[in-house]
Amino acid sequence: MNVQVLFFGATADIAGRRRNEINLPSETIAKTVYDQILTEHPQLASHKLHFSVNQEFATGDEILKDGDELAIFTAVSGG
Amino acid sequence: MANPLSNMKTDFFEITTEPIDIGTIARRVVPPECGATVTLDGYVRQYTNGRETLYLEYEGYEPMALKEMQKLIEQAKAEFEVSNIGIVHRLGRLEIGETSVVISVAAPHRKAAFAACEWLIRELKRTVPIWKKEVYTGGEEWVDGDTGASTQDFFPTK
Repeated sequence: MNVQVLFFGATADIAGRRRNEINLPSETIAKTVYDQILTEHPQLASHKLHFSVNQEFATGDEILKDGDELAIFTAVSGG
Repeated sequence: MANPLSNMKTDFFEITTEPIDIGTIARRVVPPECGATVTLDGYVRQYTNGRETLYLEYEGYEPMALKEMQKLIEQAKAEFEVSNIGIVHRLGRLEIGETSVVISVAAPHRKAAFAACEWLIRELKRTVPIWKKEVYTGGEEWVDGDTGASTQDFFPTK
């Protein structure tokens, strides 16, 4: 199955991209994907981060389905 | 002149890249049973901790930001005695003094409107996925909020 991972603001700068399609075995949990991204871009760990699955804040335990939209972003700073 | 309170108004939450007219937003939330609207006008500050900002760039995860704004309105209406709420956030490049966010809360009585408006901006700055990049003389940086999980919290086994 394939999932999309989106990056915004500081995480997009660090990852050097705004979107990444990842191929995964079925039943993968969200934490596995985020672990993989943090391993690939260790500079992310210096930020406070949020993770989402299908536009909802994620805990990491979510079981992913084909077509899911994940995102990784720093603590929000709107307003 | 038409009675400005004659139409039943509703809640709204929007993201725009255009300048925001706060007077229009403040009037859009007003239903006939209300006696007070509290409107927050959040705008671009020139000096932060002594450093001069040239301009800000806002970016948002728009579909999720809209969902989170809708949740905030629902929670505020459950928590406070308020009638209608409007939230508009602007994205893109904003110059000093330009409005980045407007929150208008109409209520039968002002006290609840003040309390709800304060709660809404505090929660918006914590949960709505929008970020600002500060551009100053000689550099630029994304502003990190202070309410995310650290990676240690998210991955406690590591």
